[in-house]
Amino acid sequence: MRTNYLFPNRFKLPGWFLLGLGIVLGFVYIFFQESPGFLNQKVFAMVDQEFLHPVILFQMVQTNLFGDIIAILLISGGLFVAFSKEKIEDEYISKIRLESLVWATYINYFVIIFSIIFIYGTAFLWILIFNMFTLLFFFIIRFYWLKKSVKKMMRNEE
Amino acid sequence: MKNSLKVERAKKNLTQAQLALLVHVSRQTINAIELGKYNLSTVLALKIARVFGKTVNEIFELEEKD
Repeated sequence: MRTNYLFPNRFKLPGWFLLGLGIVLGFVYIFFQESPGFLNQKVFAMVDQEFLHPVILFQMVQTNLFGDIIAILLISGGLFVAFSKEKIEDEYISKIRLESLVWATYINYFVIIFSIIFIYGTAFLWILIFNMFTLLFFFIIRFYWLKKSVKKMMRNEE
Repeated sequence: MKNSLKVERAKKNLTQAQLALLVHVSRQTINAIELGKYNLSTVLALKIARVFGKTVNEIFELEEKD
């Protein structure tokens, strides 16, 4: 089936690598709460506002890039894993893909609504940070789960 | 939707994998169609019918609940 919105199948494996690296570094970031010094860099910021400080527009600012790198690894890896074509990308797998995406979107927003009601302060901020990645994660989990159960169905063959 | 895909395959001595290859889908897709778990597209129905030299209606038919 011709689809122009998916990556080629060969992006899947590098995707897992980027995603895996992102997850490992993400845990390091969360547990040690420290970033490597050499990643302290001056970067161009369109907008920068530190807590209780005025807004800075279009200037060079000092920042640590560790978090940025982790986020980009997680998102790019997640996108490649989620949206690379299967070996045989046919209409049935498209249906599974669509169903998984709808399901993941529901779960993701359910988690946000739940958090809005029950979680406050900086804990809520963490939820929002995780939320940058959870839509992709929920999708990947659901999609692979469904693919596995379809494979299980194959036992009735011939 | 009911289908007689399994019977037609048996008549032609085709495995799910062989049929899948002929119509460019995965083996899982053929399996899901046979089990009635997936309503295939018109294009795929036409392709499958062509493999068996039949019309779509001879292999796939509507059920009461459709």
